[in-house]
Amino acid sequence: MPEIREGDFVLISDIPFRLRTVRAGEIIVFRHRVYGTMVKKVQRLDAAGQIYVTGTNPESVDSREFGSISSDQVLGKVIWHIRAPARRAG
Amino acid sequence: MLYTFLTKLDRIFHFPRARAHCDIPCGIYDPHLAQLAVLTVIRMDDLIADLAKAETTDKVAYHNSMTRYIAIKEEHAELCKREVRVIWGDYFKQEHVDKFPELPNLTHKIFQLGSKARQTADREVAMQLLEAVNRFAEIYWETKGIATKRVKAPYKPSEEVVYPVL
Repeated sequence: MPEIREGDFVLISDIPFRLRTVRAGEIIVFRHRVYGTMVKKVQRLDAAGQIYVTGTNPESVDSREFGSISSDQVLGKVIWHIRAPARRAG
Repeated sequence: MLYTFLTKLDRIFHFPRARAHCDIPCGIYDPHLAQLAVLTVIRMDDLIADLAKAETTDKVAYHNSMTRYIAIKEEHAELCKREVRVIWGDYFKQEHVDKFPELPNLTHKIFQLGSKARQTADREVAMQLLEAVNRFAEIYWETKGIATKRVKAPYKPSEEVVYPVL
């Protein structure tokens, strides 16, 4: 089950990353030149500071497909996640 | 409710949208086409062998049928390779290879057997190709958490094919 689903709202802030680098496990919003604006979880950072992201959905398109992203692509950290109410079947 | 309030604000201010996951690549993969292609190759090998044994005096009919069988065998051996290449290249990830270390060699074997199935009309080669593709299918479905079963195809050449248990 993906953590963030279609229709959810997230509030992001770039303040944390002005003070420090991105950390593994954080949910970030970033811009990708092909896929546009995306929200993903940080899986790890390599020695050069490149960020590898992963989706919580197993079918997700993420760093396994498009490789790492750099810190200047990061728009901010998700600091508040407001879920859409559960949709009724039918 | 907060969500309703935000939805109303969104209608006015149009908040930027971030995609949690992208559906393109589409994520639609199925090894079934590769399996059907191999069955076709086996069937063509059988038809080629039968025709070669037949005593026919109609040379035109003989060459016409033989050429058609060979053309279909060529096409389907290549189709099998293409379908496997797409799943191998676009679907399987490092984590799948870590879990199934046989996968790179198995895939390479399929490509080689696929070429050999074109070069020869040897049923045994096509059967080896089917076994390799069946194993490839089993691994594919296992990565999706879906069990499989082996059943005889209900049509000629009546060989075993892996099906997902859905």
